[in-house]
Amino acid sequence: MASRVSNPSFMNGVPELLILRLLEHEEMYGYEIVQAIQDRTGSVISVGEGVVYPVLHGLEQDGALTSRRKSIGGRSRIYYSITSAGSRRLADLAQSWTGLAGAIQQVLAGGPNAQAIP
Amino acid sequence: MPRPFRELRERLLRAGVAPRHVRRYLAELADHLADLVAEEQQAGRTRAEAESAALARLGEMDDLARAMTGQRQFQAWCVRAPWVAFGLVPLLALAAAWFVAFFILWSGWQMFLPGADTPFGAGPNYGFANLYFQAGKAIYFYAPLIVGWGIALIAARQRLKIIWPTLGLALIAWIGGTGQVLAGRTTVPGGLGHISMEFTLGPSVHGISGGLIHVLVILSVTGLPYLIWRLQKSLSPST
Repeated sequence: MASRVSNPSFMNGVPELLILRLLEHEEMYGYEIVQAIQDRTGSVISVGEGVVYPVLHGLEQDGALTSRRKSIGGRSRIYYSITSAGSRRLADLAQSWTGLAGAIQQVLAGGPNAQAIP
Repeated sequence: MPRPFRELRERLLRAGVAPRHVRRYLAELADHLADLVAEEQQAGRTRAEAESAALARLGEMDDLARAMTGQRQFQAWCVRAPWVAFGLVPLLALAAAWFVAFFILWSGWQMFLPGADTPFGAGPNYGFANLYFQAGKAIYFYAPLIVGWGIALIAARQRLKIIWPTLGLALIAWIGGTGQVLAGRTTVPGGLGHISMEFTLGPSVHGISGGLIHVLVILSVTGLPYLIWRLQKSLSPST
């Protein structure tokens, strides 16, 4: 029997995925990350802006991100950048989300899996 | 620090989030809030309106707290394993400090009192030798107090419930108050015997009451500042 991956929450992994994607090519600090998420998702994904920090700290503890303090314009900020472990995690997350989005799209378009929905 | 952040700090600490994670989270939230206020003001709001809008954008207190408390990796080790923080580590710290004190006593006896039957009582009271022995004595007597204050400090920083720090302080006070060093030489006719040092727990040379008083002194000196701090904290209207 083929193994099945359960998705207990559809939002699980979304913040990590977006953050890792944003940091793939440039380092950013928290406020910039939140603004970039809002800009690039057309504000469809909207949460309290402060909750981005526990996600960043968690990713950093897992080794997916590194941080450094930088002073710009007289203000000290913590900039985050992706590590090689973070890049691998991004690839895994992107793959599973692409598959999930494709499956949902197929159901919405009335494909064979549509019959599974009563 | 804005009032909502003070409340958030207390909530996170009480939930077991390590102080260093709380400190960093609040610092970044404060920076983020400043950016949001500036952005809202640029959009034409007054300072008060901008602050209010910025706080709303930052998130509800419940959400901000849950985002941290929901991740076990941010929990302090003294919350995850209190028996280690308030039992094992203080014992090891006390053992290490006393080991240093015993080493000083043993080496001082060898260097400065080579013929003496005991290092106690008949020691030199001048110069470097005296300083050497006094340093060992100070480490021996102050180690339980310093370890006890460490326990109280960790408990206060983490806003812990009183049970674990009390157990830790009682343990250290008991060991600190009843521990004693026995030192002497084996008897050898016509020569010097080997140095013998032992550590025991039990009634001191001053009897059971002397040991009990010592235990109570250590417990009071280490525990009272912590109890007073707790009392002040519970009476403070801001928390």
